[in-house]
Amino acid sequence: MVAIPLFRTLQQRRVAEDVVLLAPQLLLYVGLTLLPFLVALPMLFTNQTNFQHTHPDYIGFENFTRIFTDPIVSREYVDALRRTVVFTVLNYLMVYVFGLSLALLIYEVGFQSAFFTVVYLPMMASALAVGWMADMLFSQSTGTINLILKELGFQRLVDINQPSGVAIILPILTGWRWAGFNMAIFLSGLLSIPTETIEASIVDGASYWQRLVKIYFPQMVPSFIIATVFCLIGSFGIFDEAIALGALIGNQEARFLAILFFIYAFTGNKLALSVTMALQTFVPLVVVAVLLQRLQRRLEYH
Amino acid sequence: MPSGRTGRITSDTRGGWTASISRRKLLFKIVATWFMVIYSIATIFPFYVLFIRTFVSTKEASTLHLWLPPSQEIHLDAQIGNVAVFYNLDLRQVKKDLGIKGYVAPRDTLRDIAEKNNISLDTIRDYFNRYGIFTGWITLTSGSEFWSALVRSLIIIAVSLVGICFLSILTGSALAGLRRRYQTTIYNLYLLEMVIPPMLIVVPQFVMVQYLQGLLPGTDQPGLTRWVVQILTVILIFIKGGAFSTMVFTAAIGAIPREIEESSQIDGANRWQYIRHILMPLLKVPIATVVVILMPDFWNRFLEPYVYLDQANTTVLPLIQGFAGKYSTNFQVIFTGVFISLLPLVIVYLIFRRWFIRGVMAGAVKG
Repeated sequence: MVAIPLFRTLQQRRVAEDVVLLAPQLLLYVGLTLLPFLVALPMLFTNQTNFQHTHPDYIGFENFTRIFTDPIVSREYVDALRRTVVFTVLNYLMVYVFGLSLALLIYEVGFQSAFFTVVYLPMMASALAVGWMADMLFSQSTGTINLILKELGFQRLVDINQPSGVAIILPILTGWRWAGFNMAIFLSGLLSIPTETIEASIVDGASYWQRLVKIYFPQMVPSFIIATVFCLIGSFGIFDEAIALGALIGNQEARFLAILFFIYAFTGNKLALSVTMALQTFVPLVVVAVLLQRLQRRLEYH
Repeated sequence: MPSGRTGRITSDTRGGWTASISRRKLLFKIVATWFMVIYSIATIFPFYVLFIRTFVSTKEASTLHLWLPPSQEIHLDAQIGNVAVFYNLDLRQVKKDLGIKGYVAPRDTLRDIAEKNNISLDTIRDYFNRYGIFTGWITLTSGSEFWSALVRSLIIIAVSLVGICFLSILTGSALAGLRRRYQTTIYNLYLLEMVIPPMLIVVPQFVMVQYLQGLLPGTDQPGLTRWVVQILTVILIFIKGGAFSTMVFTAAIGAIPREIEESSQIDGANRWQYIRHILMPLLKVPIATVVVILMPDFWNRFLEPYVYLDQANTTVLPLIQGFAGKYSTNFQVIFTGVFISLLPLVIVYLIFRRWFIRGVMAGAVKG
């Protein structure tokens, strides 16, 4: 039998094979991540209230301006945005308080696999479980840490149900959960620094602080960017922890942006508005994250 | 490690200056060791407290318990209604277990019940003492609810992991090297997946999936079709998040010398045979990396199972969260649920900790 020359060159044949190999995952990815945006596009200009509401009216750009014009929506949005931004800033701080300092410690002391195992352990707990742990440890009357503090004679207790309690405790516990992950990112950045430069700086008598600022940090910029991107996306989308704190059953203090969008879409009869607000909020964030990713890849290649 | 190197440099010189350096190094070592010990204790503490709290009954919740509470004797003068609420008992089940035929008034004390039904007080006492500190564990593990949720979780995780590894290896083998323009474009498209917050797509995705499911007959009422379609939806959504696995496999396959593929071509192997018989056996370490990073991620994913699965047909985490509504005042049951939800993964993690550490460090390099 004579093979029919379907492809004129080997090159063409290879490209055709690539297409077949790429297709399954790409179809799934495009179909379930990018296609929904196209499907949702017409919805942005309607007053669709819930998933059963199939013939909504066309209302133009009203959904886009409602954040500014509707006083109730506006207040709920601003409250949720404020909580989310505060959480993001504090959580970003925790990336360095936990991740960077642990990485520097392990780098100086030498790799201890037992310690690494313990630091990474909280990553095995779900975000939901961490939310429940926050409740278990810091609830006003039943929290274990509060009970210990009371036993020790302290009067002022931490309370997870107060605005300040959520704002302080949640970033600390989230930072604790992600400590191992961030530590691995920073540690891999540290390990990629050529040892000659470090040795030279030690011979020249540089102090530890000088080494940190002049040698470690400049060469760890890609690690900083990766950690920033992960923290930015993760904290702005905080959801599971808030669910555990009762955000869906009335805890106002745990109403972060993602919770607000979820309530609007699934129980609040504001489906189209929810999708519009999610786009307005998250798209700028995604653009920033993509630019950071680009920057990081460019730095890695030079 | 650099500390060893500093040691070598300073040990060449003598004098007071180096003596002060080595004293400082010793001090640093001591402080660092203490810090690591304290950090480890602080990290394990919440897990330990959670374990203890699974045995602390709700009425004891506002007293401090740092170790296992003593088992409690049941009060025979307690009213059965209160006991049932307290220990999450199903009264019908209690009647069946104790062989009671007639009506049991909620206000009857346990002593009353013993007298009315001719049951010895010891039998009653033994029956209820069993619940004591183990209420949470008995409530969770006695019904089939938890076990079937566990099975569904395991099915979803196993199929998703196999699927994502297989598809990402195919993708990686087509993208390896990133030489052509379409290769970089597709690679960047996958990177985008990493920075999209789940809440941004979950609502449009839900609208679309609902529409597609509506096209299938038999999905509108409970039954096998609905079960399969829902589980499959979650699996497909897990598999499509292929940014991390695609990065790992693209890098790993790109690092394999081209000569291997060329020689296999000369021997007459086609592309699929090369992937199946040469590439896949070479990819054991990257596969382990992907599995140890994605397995906890899949196990701990809450949003998608919560949205797409019926509450009667859900995975472990949404089930546990559902307890918060069902047993809203019973912390013991909720904390036991949370503890059980993280126990399997923690056990796997501790057994395979070397693989986890290696995988995490390899994954961190890929970023």
